[in-house]
Amino acid sequence: MSSTRDIKSRIKSIGNTKKITKAMEMVAVSKMRKAIEAVLKTRTYANLSWLTVLNLSRSANGEKEKLHPLLTARKEIKKVGIILITSNRGLCGGFNAAIINKVQESIQKYQKIDERVVAEAEFILIGKKGAVIHRHGQTVVADFPKLDLASEVNEIVPVANLIIGGYLDGKYDKVMVAYTDFVSSSKQIPRVKQLLPVKINQADNYLGIVGQDTRLGLDKEFIEQKEEKYLQSGKFNYEYTFEPGPKEVLDDMLPRLIEVQLYQALLESNASEHSARMAAMHQATEAAGDMVSELILSYNKARQISITSEIAEISAGANALAE
Amino acid sequence: MSDKYIKFEIVTPERVVLKEEVRQVTVPTKAGEITVLPDHIPLVSSLMPGVIYLKKRNGEDEIMSVSGGFLEVLKNKVVILADTAERAEEIDMDRVEEARRRAVELKEKARRGENVNFVEINAAIERELARTKAIKRWRKIKNIK
Repeated sequence: MSSTRDIKSRIKSIGNTKKITKAMEMVAVSKMRKAIEAVLKTRTYANLSWLTVLNLSRSANGEKEKLHPLLTARKEIKKVGIILITSNRGLCGGFNAAIINKVQESIQKYQKIDERVVAEAEFILIGKKGAVIHRHGQTVVADFPKLDLASEVNEIVPVANLIIGGYLDGKYDKVMVAYTDFVSSSKQIPRVKQLLPVKINQADNYLGIVGQDTRLGLDKEFIEQKEEKYLQSGKFNYEYTFEPGPKEVLDDMLPRLIEVQLYQALLESNASEHSARMAAMHQATEAAGDMVSELILSYNKARQISITSEIAEISAGANALAE
Repeated sequence: MSDKYIKFEIVTPERVVLKEEVRQVTVPTKAGEITVLPDHIPLVSSLMPGVIYLKKRNGEDEIMSVSGGFLEVLKNKVVILADTAERAEEIDMDRVEEARRRAVELKEKARRGENVNFVEINAAIERELARTKAIKRWRKIKNIK
């Protein structure tokens, strides 16, 4: 008898869990919608501005005199600053694990280059879950709070100032940003991108370009055209004129564009996080549903068994009396 | 008229404001107003709050207000990365006036020593001024009222 009661209470508790995961899924869906909207809105701007930065860096490297310190690569890389964008909360499947693994992988790859160079890495975290990286033996220098839904560029400004300042002071020789690229609601790719100094020969560094979705609001044609002309020919042939002067324009422009890049990375990560959570919660809900139906089956079996055995007992008793 | 056109694109963090082929475009840069015609040399410049004027392929005029940003000129291609930008026909005059009045008021308060951000207020005033100018020019061109 106790077995049916046990099963019943388990069914109830799993049913409750299912309700919770279902609710979380719904929340994630609505957050995801907002996050995707935000990410698509700024994508064109971010990509176009990144192209501008790339073009500038190309022209900077072509010339003998250095255009701007933010565009000039350093010969020796001693310290790398990495901005790691993760979620604040768990229950989003492999979202955080994926980005952290990717970072680890790229650090190892990076440190093995040239064999002798062992660059030090310092982490700047955005999002609470990034703290795990500390357990992997990495140094964490700063931890910025993250809002669930980012709404304006200003939120990222302190981070941008920290890294740009750090780079200019010579504290960092390279700055990377680790984020999760949002391709579609079912596909997200963890990515580590070099932010400073602006590097030219990277093919896949446009945020969110991978998706074929026309909704992405991305001027692919334009980007391709630019790429074709200047990447494949291998030689950059634009000599930019700056008005009023290179220094004034670049001092104004580069930090702003870096901010936009960071902001876009944050938005991409947010959209990815909510999609990942939605998928994880959807699976959890389904699994709970399966479990409940299995348990109902065994509950019915147990109930049937107990009824059968009761009937057997009664009829056996009746038979004994009749004799 | 020449048969060359410029591919013009203006984007803000929120949206693509306009993407079109144009014959010429005039933008307010920090070094003064410049006009870009086809076959302009590559140029990078930062923008001031002000009015962008362009002549479309079909000869129509278009006026836009911009509150700052960057200009990149490539070969027969102009990209403007604006902080905010509106087409003149989208701007609502009453709201602009209202916003400007509020900003000026805030500035007065700031002068009296209240704790407000001066730079931001000034930027807001300039932005609204640029919008007003854009509307005025638009009306002049279109001969409205």
